[in-house]
Amino acid sequence: MISFLAGLTILSASCRKDLLKQDATTELDPNAFWLSEADATTALMGAYAATRPCFDRDYYFDGQAEYVRARGTSTTSGNLRLGDAYNGGNYNPSGYGSSFDKMYRYLYGAVNRANYVIDNTRKMLESTNPTSSSNLETVIGEARLLRGLAYFRLISMWGDVPYLGHTVFNNSEVADLARIPIAQVKDSIMDDFTYAFEKLPVKASLPGRASKPAALALRGKLQLYWASWKKNGWPELEGFTQNVSEATAAYTAAAADFKKVINDYSLTLYLNGDPGKIDSLGRADTLPNYYHLFTPKANGNSEMIMVFTHGGTGTDQGEELMRDFAGRSHEGSQCWVSPRYELADRYQLLTTGDFAPKLIPMNPTTNANARKALNSALNPASYANRDYRMKATIQWDYEMSIGMASLRSTGYVPFVYQKWAGKDTINGIEYITYNTDGTNSGYVFRKFVRNYAGQGRSDGDFAWPVVRLADVYLMYAEATNEVSGPQQDAIDLVNKIRRRGNLPPLQIDKKDTKDHFFAAIEQERIVELVAEGQRSFDLRRWRAIERVWGPPGSPGLFRIDTWGAQPSRYYQNTSDREYQQNYIFRIPPGERDKNPKLTQNIPWR
Amino acid sequence: MLQTCSLRIRVPLFAAKLLLAILIFPLCALAQQKTISGTVRDETGAPVSGVSVTIQGTTNGTQTDEKGHYSISAGVGSTLLFSSVNHDASTASIVADQSEYNISLKQRVSALSDIVVVGYGRQKKVNLVGAVGTVNVDEKITSRAISNVSSGLSGLVPGLAATQSSGMAGRNGATLLIRGLGTVNNSNPLIVVDGMPDVDINRVNLNDIETISVLKDATSASVYGSRAANGVILITTKSGKGAQKTALNFSSVTAIEVPTKAFAFMPDYSRALTLQQRRAATNTLPSNQTFRNGTIDQWMALGMIDPLRYPNTDWWDIIMRDGVFQNYNLSASGGNEKSNFFASVGLKNEEGLQINNDYKQYNARFNFDYKVRSNMNTGIKFTGNWSNFTYALEEGFTDPAPTNTAGFDMQYAIAGITPYDPVSGKFGGVMAYGEDPQAYNPYTVYVNALTRQNRQEATGTMYWDWTPVKGLTAGVDYGLNYFNQFQWNANTPNQAYNFQTASFGSRVYVGPNAAVSNITLTGYKTMLNGRINYHTLIKGNHDISALAVYSEEYWYERAQGSSRNDRLNPALHDIDAALTSVQSTSGSSSTEGLRSYIGRLNYTAFNKYLFEANFRVDGSSKFLPGHQYGFFPSVALGWRFTEEPFINGFTNKFLTNGKLRVSYGSLGNNSGVGRFEQQPTLSGNHYMIDNNIAIGIVNRKIINPDYSWETTTVFNAGLELGFLNNRLTTEIDFYDRLTTGMSRPSDLSLLISGAYNAPRANIGQMRNRGIEGNFSWKDRAGAFNYGVSLNASYNTTKLEKWNEFLARGATTTINNIAYNVFLGMPYNYLYTYEDIGIAQTWADVYNAAPQGAQPGDILRKDLNGDGRIDDNDRRAYTGISRDRPSTYFALNSFVAWKGIDLAVLLQGAAGRKDYWLNAFNNVNFGSQRYASTWNHWNSPWSLDNREGLWPRLGGSGNNTAQTSFWLDDMSFLRLKNIQLGYTIPKSLLRRIHATTLRIAGSAENLATISSFRGLDPEKAGNNNNLYPINKSYSLSIQLGF
Repeated sequence: MISFLAGLTILSASCRKDLLKQDATTELDPNAFWLSEADATTALMGAYAATRPCFDRDYYFDGQAEYVRARGTSTTSGNLRLGDAYNGGNYNPSGYGSSFDKMYRYLYGAVNRANYVIDNTRKMLESTNPTSSSNLETVIGEARLLRGLAYFRLISMWGDVPYLGHTVFNNSEVADLARIPIAQVKDSIMDDFTYAFEKLPVKASLPGRASKPAALALRGKLQLYWASWKKNGWPELEGFTQNVSEATAAYTAAAADFKKVINDYSLTLYLNGDPGKIDSLGRADTLPNYYHLFTPKANGNSEMIMVFTHGGTGTDQGEELMRDFAGRSHEGSQCWVSPRYELADRYQLLTTGDFAPKLIPMNPTTNANARKALNSALNPASYANRDYRMKATIQWDYEMSIGMASLRSTGYVPFVYQKWAGKDTINGIEYITYNTDGTNSGYVFRKFVRNYAGQGRSDGDFAWPVVRLADVYLMYAEATNEVSGPQQDAIDLVNKIRRRGNLPPLQIDKKDTKDHFFAAIEQERIVELVAEGQRSFDLRRWRAIERVWGPPGSPGLFRIDTWGAQPSRYYQNTSDREYQQNYIFRIPPGERDKNPKLTQNIPWR
Repeated sequence: MLQTCSLRIRVPLFAAKLLLAILIFPLCALAQQKTISGTVRDETGAPVSGVSVTIQGTTNGTQTDEKGHYSISAGVGSTLLFSSVNHDASTASIVADQSEYNISLKQRVSALSDIVVVGYGRQKKVNLVGAVGTVNVDEKITSRAISNVSSGLSGLVPGLAATQSSGMAGRNGATLLIRGLGTVNNSNPLIVVDGMPDVDINRVNLNDIETISVLKDATSASVYGSRAANGVILITTKSGKGAQKTALNFSSVTAIEVPTKAFAFMPDYSRALTLQQRRAATNTLPSNQTFRNGTIDQWMALGMIDPLRYPNTDWWDIIMRDGVFQNYNLSASGGNEKSNFFASVGLKNEEGLQINNDYKQYNARFNFDYKVRSNMNTGIKFTGNWSNFTYALEEGFTDPAPTNTAGFDMQYAIAGITPYDPVSGKFGGVMAYGEDPQAYNPYTVYVNALTRQNRQEATGTMYWDWTPVKGLTAGVDYGLNYFNQFQWNANTPNQAYNFQTASFGSRVYVGPNAAVSNITLTGYKTMLNGRINYHTLIKGNHDISALAVYSEEYWYERAQGSSRNDRLNPALHDIDAALTSVQSTSGSSSTEGLRSYIGRLNYTAFNKYLFEANFRVDGSSKFLPGHQYGFFPSVALGWRFTEEPFINGFTNKFLTNGKLRVSYGSLGNNSGVGRFEQQPTLSGNHYMIDNNIAIGIVNRKIINPDYSWETTTVFNAGLELGFLNNRLTTEIDFYDRLTTGMSRPSDLSLLISGAYNAPRANIGQMRNRGIEGNFSWKDRAGAFNYGVSLNASYNTTKLEKWNEFLARGATTTINNIAYNVFLGMPYNYLYTYEDIGIAQTWADVYNAAPQGAQPGDILRKDLNGDGRIDDNDRRAYTGISRDRPSTYFALNSFVAWKGIDLAVLLQGAAGRKDYWLNAFNNVNFGSQRYASTWNHWNSPWSLDNREGLWPRLGGSGNNTAQTSFWLDDMSFLRLKNIQLGYTIPKSLLRRIHATTLRIAGSAENLATISSFRGLDPEKAGNNNNLYPINKSYSLSIQLGF
């Protein structure tokens, strides 16, 4: 019996000594990391990947302005890469300020990722030889650029925000952080961008990584925003004071940074800003350069100063631009984002360089002449001779795009509003028309929609621009105009952008006064940067919501369609408070429940 | 009997042995032989045939004939033993001057209930101090059309809730919950089959099972310590122990299944479009409406003559069928003093109510015990099962996963689509002008987009017992449980066809580059136990037994998946049968270890004072060193007060048995944490550089170093009474279960939660309190044998502590579902707006708080009287959970007469309320593609239908909010089973050399009384799940040779 028991004991002892030590199989032991310089780069890539999803769907934000409708999003809740930062956000022209808790959360997520890289790389830097120190400094520079970018977005939306400048190890470290005045946060961002500017290479070592002009352009943009706030005031942000002289100083500094970006790095607009060729109405074999700029084919061109890259099929890093911008005819896309009817009238005539007669909406079921009448929104001829960027950006009735299914082309698909997936014979050829339930304006986007098959709707590999040269030109023009009125170099830059649309240079009445020139700059920003997530931020920093939609208590504006229906109306009898809420976002109340030190913005109290 | 007992040394039966020893002594005296004869009758005086008459201590014996007569040669001084399966044994001592012995046998009240299987052993029921419910699987259960063991447990054990939420073939198992929701994490009981934990209860062959024990309190469960917090279900399979002869049994159950209730979609497209117009009319001018009168008129007219181009499809008719359930089993069992065996094969075939939802499972089992030496036993149990499973969507008709875009598309299955045209071989799409081309053709999904899954499991366990000295047994068990599962999808390309225009629409259901996807899951679990039992009887009155076990368990699982686009031919479905141009792969593995030390001490004094103490120490690899071990002890006391002369003297006339028992102890739970979740690891987060993937690594983890076991402490007090010779038995238990350190992801600040996964913390405390009772009456009246048993349980769940901020209306999210949590409330308590009905006039609207309503809209109450309706106007109900009832009850009755038996099982629940809101009764449906139901036609309020049960179509968005308007009481009473059987008399069977033959007709879920307006009041979970629960009619045959 004793031997039996002994046997039992031996048996049990010999079984599994390390039974209670089972190691993860697809994740890395932290002790095996931060051993080499390459590890710093690997960690940096993680930070890029964490920052990207806070910026690469900025097009939804255009729904908060007047020219783009975002009826919803293709985001997947709980999946950051698939847009969780934007998930649940309200992308209507009004009433959106309380729905960006997730964006707040993931922007700080990006900050934490950057801090992790910065702190650990700094530690490595202390014990490294001088040759590799410059590489490590570049890594820190890029991480600081990403951190600055995240904070820039945070202050643009929420004003004063808590500041995390180092790696966090425990929730208690952040549980009772208070908000830091925006000026202080802005200074920290300036430091980050300045450090990045000093340490980054003139040209990125590999496409996809940040470079000097990116840091500089972002620093310029930060100062431009700061100048706008200082000039126009931000009454919803407690403790923030309007100050004209600070504004002027910031405009000046911004202009200086932009000027360097424009002049010092021999950056050019895509294909030198040439308009390219354009096909006749209803054909899409040849599209203007502006269209191609927003397809993956243009990835890596020098106009894109700061981008977030994506990978195609099989990389698990695709963008969903097609899914959001195209219809069912294009790989079953969902058309979450579409142009508003009012965008079409913003495209100027090639002949005059000025606005065309306003389009007239007509209902073809009650008006037999609707498709032939002069200036009818349903008459393709009304769209002739327009800014090339119009055809490159939107589709109206009988415009064509390449349909796709199962990664193969299904040939041209004509867009005919309200005739979804119907048969239509055009020039003797029978087509099945564009299929979507996503637009209520009579237009769909062409911008960002690939015209070649082979990639699924969630497998786009377009490098999303955060800052591009055209934007820098316009921001430079804005900054100098604010300081000293229309300047010739600024006018030349605006004309360069107009040339891309094949428009003639600005007429004298568009550049004679500060106000006129500002209007010209705004017009170019609307057309050139449509659906790039700029417009709603512009409206807020310019305090232009009242100018665009009418003052509080006014009837507001309808958004209509090409048939004359009025699907939606915004800012009807809207209260002061709602305007205020549209100028500043709500600090997440769940955070305030747990942290009494966290104050709320005025209109959200 | 002696054989049987010694074979059971592994599971000692001390008291029985003691009894036997006393009986056996007289055998030593040998005497002269003489012929003894007589008649055996039962209590009613009826002769009993087939009673075995043996001379104790020998193998000599005979059986009584049809008239109860027997004749045997026996010596004076020897003892005759009369035994029968259905009667209590009786003995007669042979004396010299008597040769006729007429015996009266007592009908056995419950054949097997005197011995109860508990963890690592068996105990006499009278000496049990824990709360244990038992189910003996007899022919009344096996002849029912029960798809799996879990759903078969419904209504059989007080305190065990078996909730079936779907009738989907292959997914129709019930959720088992013992004594309320013990934790918000995994609250399933531990399933142990023949000593092997973690077996899928739904893959066990019901026909192989001998008994099921439900361990409900700490004392009975704490030998399973760490995983027993939610109770344990012990399943013991059959063996050939004690067999008189080798028996062959064949059984078959064949059933037809129909839904208990189904949705009434409206197979009338022109009416559906009319509803679209009515809905749109609330805010859209006729000229801007999607659908035109012409379209509707055309459809109405042509729909009568041209069903292909103008269909009015009754989808429910197309995609449903009568279900079929078949279960065939063949088993053999037998044994002798050296060895015994049980072998079986079984086939279960289910054809679900939904087309192409099929499940087939094969089972095989071989149990074998062998006596190696007089003090040494060994044995194996081997079982395997194989299944083939076909389904379209995860829930049959729906899929809650956000990634499956067909998930809730049944609401888009408009009547205006032709499912399939057999002439052209095309699947229909939308045709009406204005209709959304994305409208849904479910038929194509259920035919062309099926998932197929086959799974194999094999479990083998073996033991070796050795009894070196009397009372001491040492043993080793080893078990291995292996599984392999293969799942494949290879959808058939097809495209929506418009029969009106004779062209393909733009909707491609499955593209020509259709993918193949293959997923393999495989893994095993091993268990090694070393055991020592000791049993001794001191001075005849002090029965002591002790048990010590050392146990190691180890899990290994791996998953591998791959998919490729562009397969060579739609007939092929393996990965290599597709091009490599677009492909993806995935794979990972995980392991877990558990080391345990278990101890138990039983002490019974004078057969009336009972004491038991248990402990288990568990160490789990899921926790960090220093927090790996949990200690879970328990103690229990029992008092069989009817054994006390000072009580017995007064009560023995009516009270046969009485016992008070109290137990207290703790149990653990580690299921709330992932295998590697507590390890500080870095994980991938990649980026694209220069068109290549650049490896990115990030730290997503903040580890809570103090995190450890969730602990449940259970107090249980029970009273067992047996009246009138145990014809009436009652068992009442009160319990208080307190779960502390409930594990949840901690509440991180948004400042870091975007980067780090919230570490687990032991933050919550939840209490379940309840009472349960079982009252059973069994008796015989003449040739009638009958019984009624009522069991009922009442439980309240209360969240007592939550170490983090809980705001008004706070929720915690598990698997993307948000549950209401608040202190002092049940988990997912009811938190609702209250309504004052539908506004009939503008005066009603003006008299209510402003809420954007118009006549026809639901008006909500301004509960806090602040003049507006907002979140603060919701009322919280302290006693009502939306997920589960507080009260369960079941009434089980049977009556048998001369081979005819009738059994009825009624089952019900009360105390749950939930909203009847889903995608299919939406009054604010979209402007296109909506599959209206007849309720949409009949129920909405309008000026012409002011009595309408629903608010108006297309009204205020608040009409679909969670108000009391949509709230239903989910109480129900269900005729769960009714069964009529006939056992053919043995005399007839002899001619076909059969021993038993029973034929029975049975019906499941025959009728339900409930005020719930939705599909089924028992269904829990996703409200959009459309799969009904089955009603079935079956015929079963049980034949023994």
